[in-house]
Amino acid sequence: MSANKHFNVKWGMAIDLDKCTGCGACMVACQAENNLAPLADASNKQRVPNWLVVYELSNKKSFPDHEIAYLPRPCQQCAEQPCATVCPVVATERNEEGGIVSQIYPRCIGCRYCMAACPYHARCFNWFDPVWPKGMEKALTPDVSTRPRGVVEKCTFCHHRFMQAKDKVRAGGGEVYVRGTDNKLHCAVPEDGYVTSCAEVCPNGAIVFGDLNNPEHRVHRLVTGNANAFRLLERLGTDTAVYYISRREWVRRLGDNYLPDEDTQKPKQILPKRH
Amino acid sequence: MGFDRRAFLKIAAGASAGIMVTPVPWKLLDDVSIWSQNWSWIPVPARGASTYAEVFSKMDPFGVPMKIRKVGGLPVRVLPLPEHPLGGGLSPLSIAEVQMLYSPGRLRRPLLRGADGKLTEISWPQASKKLQDELKNAGGKAAFISGDETSSVTEVLSAFANALGSEDMYLMPSEAQSAAKAAELMGIDARLGYDIEQSDHLLAVGANILENWGTVLRNRRVFANSRPHSFRKDGGEETGDSLSLVYAGPVQNNTAAVAGAWLPVYPGTEGILALGMANMLIEAGKTVAARDFEEFKALASAYTPEKTAELTGVDGKKLEAEVARLLTAQKPLLIVGSSAGGGAGPIMAGVAVNALLGNINKPGGLVLLPKAAKVLKGASDLAEIYRNDLIKFFEREEKPALLLIHEANPAFALPNAQACAAALKAVPFKVCFSTFMDETAALCDLILPLGMGLERLDDVETPYGSGKIGYCISTAVGRPDAGVLNTANVILNIARRLGKDLGFELYADILKAKAGLYGKGGDPLAGGFAVESAERAEAGAFSFRPEVLGKALAPDEARGKLRLAVYGRASLGTDKTGIPPYNNKTLRADELAGSLMSVLLNRATAARNNLADGDKVSLESGGGKIVARVRVFEGIINDTAGVCRGFGHTALDEFSRDKGANVMEVVRPVPEPETGLNFWAKAGVDIKKA
Ligand code: SF4
Repeated sequence: MSANKHFNVKWGMAIDLDKCTGCGACMVACQAENNLAPLADASNKQRVPNWLVVYELSNKKSFPDHEIAYLPRPCQQCAEQPCATVCPVVATERNEEGGIVSQIYPRCIGCRYCMAACPYHARCFNWFDPVWPKGMEKALTPDVSTRPRGVVEKCTFCHHRFMQAKDKVRAGGGEVYVRGTDNKLHCAVPEDGYVTSCAEVCPNGAIVFGDLNNPEHRVHRLVTGNANAFRLLERLGTDTAVYYISRREWVRRLGDNYLPDEDTQKPKQILPKRH
Repeated sequence: MGFDRRAFLKIAAGASAGIMVTPVPWKLLDDVSIWSQNWSWIPVPARGASTYAEVFSKMDPFGVPMKIRKVGGLPVRVLPLPEHPLGGGLSPLSIAEVQMLYSPGRLRRPLLRGADGKLTEISWPQASKKLQDELKNAGGKAAFISGDETSSVTEVLSAFANALGSEDMYLMPSEAQSAAKAAELMGIDARLGYDIEQSDHLLAVGANILENWGTVLRNRRVFANSRPHSFRKDGGEETGDSLSLVYAGPVQNNTAAVAGAWLPVYPGTEGILALGMANMLIEAGKTVAARDFEEFKALASAYTPEKTAELTGVDGKKLEAEVARLLTAQKPLLIVGSSAGGGAGPIMAGVAVNALLGNINKPGGLVLLPKAAKVLKGASDLAEIYRNDLIKFFEREEKPALLLIHEANPAFALPNAQACAAALKAVPFKVCFSTFMDETAALCDLILPLGMGLERLDDVETPYGSGKIGYCISTAVGRPDAGVLNTANVILNIARRLGKDLGFELYADILKAKAGLYGKGGDPLAGGFAVESAERAEAGAFSFRPEVLGKALAPDEARGKLRLAVYGRASLGTDKTGIPPYNNKTLRADELAGSLMSVLLNRATAARNNLADGDKVSLESGGGKIVARVRVFEGIINDTAGVCRGFGHTALDEFSRDKGANVMEVVRPVPEPETGLNFWAKAGVDIKKA
């Protein structure tokens, strides 16, 4: 079972919902990067493996006061993971510097406890073996293995890119973790040396990726002390690594189940830290 | 010595301890889980060294430069190319291009329809000979359609059509065509462009600039750069947006989702909104030194704020606020557009507003771009080709002897799609160069497999909406075994054999010559060739043409119970590609459920028509009918039905087929008064429960 661990490096995202137009490019890039199989009928959303989903949000007002926004939802990479704590075979854990919650496919027995536990619906189950139209398997990337039916999968923050970035540092003769000016250990991978595929393709620059613990990273500066930044279901105490930014109050209110007159800025955590 | 209970317990305890210590069972368990997931039918990605090539998407019409990652020589990923002038990120269509090399709907071998109506595979030499014979017989009675306005293939086809004595050379209807007509009518001898980079206030009217209008990736990069991530401390908000964006249109679309404001207007009234704004600007003292300014002023004065509000459905107060913003901005810019079919009138009204704002050929304004360079003998200018209206051509009684279609899918994309398909069928010999077995290819007599952009040498010259002239050459990076050829080379070859001298024998030489004209040394065919020029055309004597505008924009009677707002999503691909394999996962359940797509109605409109969320309805107009499911969505103007186009393919592959219906079946084109174009932005539909 995965216990909460503190890491010097905490990869995370700040997703600017005022920039996202909901085009879906990030969803397509995610599938191509991580070798998900296409589906001819993808309208039954319960059966569609998707690591990243873009949701449409509404302020629920009538025309003409209606507003919309789009919210891309990758795995939230919780520090207090509801998923890893229920996995009976330790097929998913948060056990590596960087704080990414892993998913070890050959170990997964497909019980789907983690799916039931994840409050963000970030996990999906392979109900079927993946099938690519004839020849399309030649366009699989060598970085990510394909998964058979019967296992759960989820966004890994393109973990293979992290490995490649670390390799690059090592190949250059450097140390992967170095002490910064704040006397803490930071990853020597440059800020743009490790970027997830979704962040990379977003034409609107809506997804900012980096080390939340590194004061020199944009993502750190964007979420620290920013009252427009929030996390999803923050009061569950999952301590996620994905922040959202919006200047629109109605968008921020949708981040959690607030009562109509409840102040979103009040102390967030209502559940005990350990659960 | 007997085997007593004690001995048994000893053995059991020993075995348990042994099992705990030996790794064998754990290793076996581990192996079981690994090998039970390791089946021969689950593909294993190939390995190899990664290499990269820079190309420009020929599939996405909205200007997408990209970098292709190849592993072991085969393309596996499309990556962004931010250093390109139009680059920054990727579109949902372009990302899928590598996978689409292997789409089940791809054409691989030439196909010829026999007397029994069946298609049989033939070889390329046979196909080329057949095409040559048919072209020779048809002579001046051959007609040509190109679906790629940025490629020199269009120039090759035009030169060839002219050499054969044919006057029937067409491009698929597009925004660029409407804009070319608008410019021509106003006496502007140039192409319209928009310098959004330097603008500080952008009002997009009908133009879904962040999704499917103009140079989308560039538009989005400009938007992203102009808007810092918001940061609010307890002390207050830090802002610093260098561009404010407002969207006016019938549907709260992807651009409206992030715009500072959404101005709802009825579909097809975008031009009237611009005219009403022009009137308010003139009232505020704006003027232009043009010969017919007074007449234009008289026309615009009829579009008082009250009248404009009534005709367009826009809120009077919001209209006033928007005009005030245009007046106070340093570098305001108005872009009027549609996703095709909007006509020239609204664009003319947009030019008029920009002229009143004094931004023509100014930084951040409407810019005039020189015409595209030509190198082939006898080819027509793009502007001349745009003058030929494809809808009129299909409506004509007399059919050509032969119709050659390059990269276009008129049987799906044109309004009144079924009538177009019927007109197409009536042509004695139809030949298409197509990458996919689309609706048009399925009707053709000779089908020639065209390489995807990744598999062919081709160029892109200044996609519409760009603020600068640009020229890029894309070289092949794809599969060498695809069995495909380039339209231009096939036509150049046939031209030579028919004794028509077009001045070139190879497409590569045409592109080299063009690259020379756009001015850059080095080998243009070495990959990643891209040049950009800030050259502008002279503004010249410009007129408002109120006599044309007045008629083109005149409000007309309703054509059905509801107005029809047709909108698009980049994820659905183009008319030619259909939905790329990965992209139907991006469609939400409220957009497509099973094979039923949604029609958007706001709550009040639904109630007025006795409809509720989830009702299955039919939309009918002029004999066409489509079925959809009501989605109550408050982001659409009253009395309007919003339908997304791109659904309803009947050909292509399983990723596109049997998904929703093709809205173009209920869209009827009408002649735009005075402009000579057909347009269909004012379509209407009747709706009832199905
Ligand atoms: S690519 Fe960017 S803009 Fe498009 S849906 Fe994803 S986050 Fe939003």
